[in-house]
Amino acid sequence: MAKLDRVRMAGFLAALPLIGGMTLQRRQAAGPGLAMLSFLGGLAVGIFIGAVTLVAAGVPADDLLDELVVQVFLTSDGLAQTVVLATPLLLAGLSSAVASRIRFWNIGIEGQLWMGAIAAAGVALFHIGPEPLRLPLMMLAACIAGACWIALPLLLKLRLGVSEIVLTLMLSNVAYLIMQHLLFGAWQDPSGSFPISPRFDDAATLPGLGWGDVHAGILIALIAGLALWVLMERTRAGFHANAIGLNPVAARAAGIPVAATVVLFVLLSGALSGLAGGVIVAGTEHRLTQFIGINMTFSGIVIAFLARFNALATIVAALAIAGIYNAGGTLKVFYSVSDGVVVLVEGAVLMCVLIGQFFSAYRIEFARRPATVEDAEGEAA
Amino acid sequence: MGTAGPQTAPLLALSGVSRSFDGVRVLDRAAFDLKRGEIHALLGENGAGKSTLMNIVTGVYAPEGGRYLIDGAPAGIRGPKDALKAGIGMVHQHFRLVDRFTVAENVLLASGQLGLFANAGEAARAAMEAGKAVGLAVDPAAIVGELSVAERQRVEILKVLALGARIVILDEPTAVLTDQEAGALLLAIRKIAAQGRAVVMITHKLREVAGHSDRVTIMRAGRTVISGAPVGTLSAGDLGRLMMGEETSPAEAAEAGVIEAAAPITIAKPGEERLIVSALYAGGGQGSVGVSDVGFTLKAGEILGVAGVGGNGQQALAEAIVGLLPVAGGHLTLDGWELGEFSVARRRDLGLRVVPSDRFASALIGELSVADNLALTRVRTGRYRSRLGSWLVGRRRMKREAEQAIEAFAIAGATPARRARLLSGGNAQKLLLARELEESGSGVKLLVAHSPTRGLDVKACAFVHAAIRKAVAGGAACLLISEDVEEVRALASRILVMSAGRMVGELPAGASASQIGALILGQA
Ligand SMILES: Nc1ncnc2c1ncn2[C@@H]1O[C@H](COP(=O)(O)OP(=O)(O)OP(=O)(O)O)[C@@H](O)[C@H]1O
Ligand SMILES: [Mg+2]
Repeated sequence: MAKLDRVRMAGFLAALPLIGGMTLQRRQAAGPGLAMLSFLGGLAVGIFIGAVTLVAAGVPADDLLDELVVQVFLTSDGLAQTVVLATPLLLAGLSSAVASRIRFWNIGIEGQLWMGAIAAAGVALFHIGPEPLRLPLMMLAACIAGACWIALPLLLKLRLGVSEIVLTLMLSNVAYLIMQHLLFGAWQDPSGSFPISPRFDDAATLPGLGWGDVHAGILIALIAGLALWVLMERTRAGFHANAIGLNPVAARAAGIPVAATVVLFVLLSGALSGLAGGVIVAGTEHRLTQFIGINMTFSGIVIAFLARFNALATIVAALAIAGIYNAGGTLKVFYSVSDGVVVLVEGAVLMCVLIGQFFSAYRIEFARRPATVEDAEGEAA
Repeated sequence: MGTAGPQTAPLLALSGVSRSFDGVRVLDRAAFDLKRGEIHALLGENGAGKSTLMNIVTGVYAPEGGRYLIDGAPAGIRGPKDALKAGIGMVHQHFRLVDRFTVAENVLLASGQLGLFANAGEAARAAMEAGKAVGLAVDPAAIVGELSVAERQRVEILKVLALGARIVILDEPTAVLTDQEAGALLLAIRKIAAQGRAVVMITHKLREVAGHSDRVTIMRAGRTVISGAPVGTLSAGDLGRLMMGEETSPAEAAEAGVIEAAAPITIAKPGEERLIVSALYAGGGQGSVGVSDVGFTLKAGEILGVAGVGGNGQQALAEAIVGLLPVAGGHLTLDGWELGEFSVARRRDLGLRVVPSDRFASALIGELSVADNLALTRVRTGRYRSRLGSWLVGRRRMKREAEQAIEAFAIAGATPARRARLLSGGNAQKLLLARELEESGSGVKLLVAHSPTRGLDVKACAFVHAAIRKAVAGGAACLLISEDVEEVRALASRILVMSAGRMVGELPAGASASQIGALILGQA
């Protein structure tokens, strides 16, 4: 019977585009203008729905524009806070984008991020290497740890065809437990009873840029974004990855080095997640804590999808999402709006933006009633 | 209901139907009508708009104006669902089956009877009955992925019959079949029509038009240049001329009409040994036929034809040579290199080129642009390296080469940036050939071509045959695997017959179709 359910499901999906008199037409290629327009359109609708929800939850309508736009993007302090939030989000988004390009579903960004944070914290806490090299070593350690954490699912997928989805997700839990184990044990700050590590030395913290809490991590993330864009859009490996993602069988038959490309992109994905962890501990927390990286998998995937796996667009998407999170934080604190409402608003905005993107890829055609359409006949006569 | 009444009005009538995609007019005031009980052949060159016209009939695309009547009344078809309700069913050029489902499940899926508590057995049984009535029996419990191409096609037709379709549209139904299979199918089609349904048959094989259809509609560049003429009134030469345009000389048109029989057999002077296959075993299992104990030698300048019913190990043979399937036993050598452990890339570097039987499954990437598809096999070699660094890809050369290939192979509807998926079936095949044969044919040492002219119009067919001959004349060897006996006869300098994974016989060039047929059927 399970099989019949599959039949029914497939039937349902097949029927979806047939509702009413509409058919869905895939567009040739969405130009950058159209893509931008649908993004902004979706954003506008989402913000409108979000605004209505917030007013209903008791936020004065007059304050809305201020909180949602001005305070997070247009004031110096607000924008600085948004950029701080965007830093790890950008790295997580890039991590998801790079893996998704070859259709490797990395659902374990958080796990790789935690392993990266632990590795970076280890370098900092045990004063490994000379001080001037401390930060580069921490970032390198974070990348390697993240890459190692994704290497196992990658290996199992390549060798045995095991689904990476379950494995990366499960390994996230393992990473979290390892982190807890350290924070409640060997690495706990002896000067208190909280599950946090001791503070890092100055040599192990990313320097600020003199603008709010913004630190050098944003530069690292931006450079990573640019480098990935070049990799994915302009290099041989990127060309190959694109082909593999769209049709692995044809890619193999064309002589493309499938396994090598997959390994490169997946390890990069893990390294970027790990780097996000390193940047959080060295840039904002200055110690290992158990709350870093929560929700990063979800956010990273959303950002990557919004950006359609394009590295430059990921930068924009990460900033947008960071703005929404930033506004959410303020609303919670100053208007005692409940957590649930904030998540609801964030969700509404995201969904509208994603729906907007759908329309930049597809066009809905409403069949005109053929009986009334006789204009062409006149033309023919 | 109109005053004409259902008895006299045509079952279906379209007139003045146009359609553009992104500003390009693909259909231009086309007209088409169908009567009960007839088989209506729809002809036209690759990219003429045949599939698009039928997609309008089935509600997949909305027409931009024109009139669409069913039984003399406005059809009111606003989507595929309406067309299904009106009894219009289509078997597409590229099959749409769920490989992992059984035949019955596929039929049920299409039947639209999937309520919460659908009676699977009942619906499937009805479809099988309907199939048996017209001579298209398939085991309902078989997994579709394990069926031969001909059987899959039966399933597609059963799906349409299960809908109780009054109008059955078949898009190039015989392109994938051997002559025997095609003959059986054409008989079944006649029976379907005799039940009072109307059948539309899109085809490039003119010999099927004369013997097996009642009326013809011919399309050229989006227009219907002839709409519903009785078959008897047109000669093969007329058909060719109407398809290709007035500028075609009568001689050319006549040749096109009978091209498969008239093509001269060239026996190139064989050179050194290119490909040596000895005691080869590969593939098999899970319902598919592998290669067992196959051995042959292929020399430079030679076209070796492999004839046989599809699904008898041809796929495995091609994949083993290409490097997609590991060699389980025996040897493969190309120009003295033992291929056994070589990657696909190494084999390609040795001059191996491939045209597989299913272009969009294993050769082209529909979502990539025409230029990217052409470059797919060559980016690796550094051919498009940018001036800024060897690992960067320069797009300009890619685009220029794509423009040249589109021109050289006359790929209609293609621009370098357009997605390959949007090309018509025949033009997608030309795109693939353009990549594998390149313009000069240089660098090609061994061409493995599996049904290379599937879905091509007569002109394109002749073009491909010429391209293969040219490559071979330039020193390449060609392994031509084809279900089409006429194609094998036209091209091959030697013919092997494959059955159940083995080579069951060898014939010289000039062997008659019946000699080959007898070997295929195991009667020799
Ligand atoms: N959805 C689409 N978007 C853009 N162009 C399209 C689309 N569908 C078809 N075309 C173009 O319309 C033209 C006609 O295509 P169609 O598939 O109808 O040809 P055809 O007569 O069936 O050819 P073939 O014999 O090769 O199958 C082609 O040039 C094709 O590229
Ligand atoms: Mg077609």
